[in-house]
Amino acid sequence: MTASESRSLACSRVRVLLEPYSDGELAREDRLQYEAVREHLGGCSDCRLQHEQAISLPFRLRALSSPPPPGSLVAGVMRTIASTRLASRRAWTLLVPEAVLAAFILWYLSGLEGITSVASGIVGDLLGLAGWSSGSGSLPSIPHADVPLLLALIALTAIAGYHLSILIRLAPGGRTGSGRHAASE
Amino acid sequence: MQAEVALDARLVGDLAAVEAQASTAAQLARQATGGDLDAFEELIRCLQRRVYGFAYQHLRDSSEAHDLAQEIFVKLYRNLGRYDSTRPFEPWFWKLAANTTINYRRKRIPMPAELSDDSAGETQNPQHDPALLEALGQLDPAYRLPILLHYYADLSLEQVGHSLDLSVAAVKSRLHRARAQLRNALAEMDE
Repeated sequence: MTASESRSLACSRVRVLLEPYSDGELAREDRLQYEAVREHLGGCSDCRLQHEQAISLPFRLRALSSPPPPGSLVAGVMRTIASTRLASRRAWTLLVPEAVLAAFILWYLSGLEGITSVASGIVGDLLGLAGWSSGSGSLPSIPHADVPLLLALIALTAIAGYHLSILIRLAPGGRTGSGRHAASE
Repeated sequence: MQAEVALDARLVGDLAAVEAQASTAAQLARQATGGDLDAFEELIRCLQRRVYGFAYQHLRDSSEAHDLAQEIFVKLYRNLGRYDSTRPFEPWFWKLAANTTINYRRKRIPMPAELSDDSAGETQNPQHDPALLEALGQLDPAYRLPILLHYYADLSLEQVGHSLDLSVAAVKSRLHRARAQLRNALAEMDE
């Protein structure tokens, strides 16, 4: 850009350059354009007004005021955190009954051998049912219910389900329980 | 002229206060990382004015700002374990606050309160620069966030870039555009 071209800057061009001009960037990077903008501002009252706005804007932005934070903010955060800590502690505590029930089931089934025999019994019953439904066999007899094993399995499933729901709530992005909606719950 | 000098002095005083607050916040964050709940509560008290103000300037609704500020602090608590106490606390914290704000706007369901002015908040806190607040409200969030982080939360260009995952050049460019848009909006209001 020549000196004469830069002197005849249009208002629209000056408005684009006002920001780098006002924060000193233009003076450092393009002295010629800086001088051209300065000269333009000397003779154009509209652009001068915009320049004054550009200079005062950072001060006005820094001086913006907001209402004071509500007194309930800190208490609300601490309440949410307390419930998170409680849930986290509960999640760890639940591992104890889960481990006890799992150990009981394993002991009751006499380890891997017992599990294999239960599994093969279930597969045999399912195959019998499939044979009966296709008409190639008779209806298998109802197996004897093993009450202690059944109760232990039901209890383990219930506790594990509850445990899972706590872990989902604690996971990042899960329902935090924060906010005024939760606070009113 | 005298008013400008007084404003400058006030801003210098504010900046010194912000720096002192940043140092206290870093100290409290280190204590809270070790599980000290009292230190965490003190940390919230130390940051709440700036965080709530930032949320309020961004959302223009006092109850939404309360929700967002609370969410930012709960996220802070959950992520304290990831904070490297050898590094400055403020940039790390404002990055978390900016991310929470961006996600908050994404998942937020527009409420009828948004359509009306926040008259309750305004009566408690009379606005001293309503034209600028209105112009700020019209800005795209992609431009409003850097403006608020730089001028309201007093972060440097590098810290704003770190908070928003932008280069310093990109932050400068957004600030230039945002200020130009604000200027145009203010000029239109004057006409």
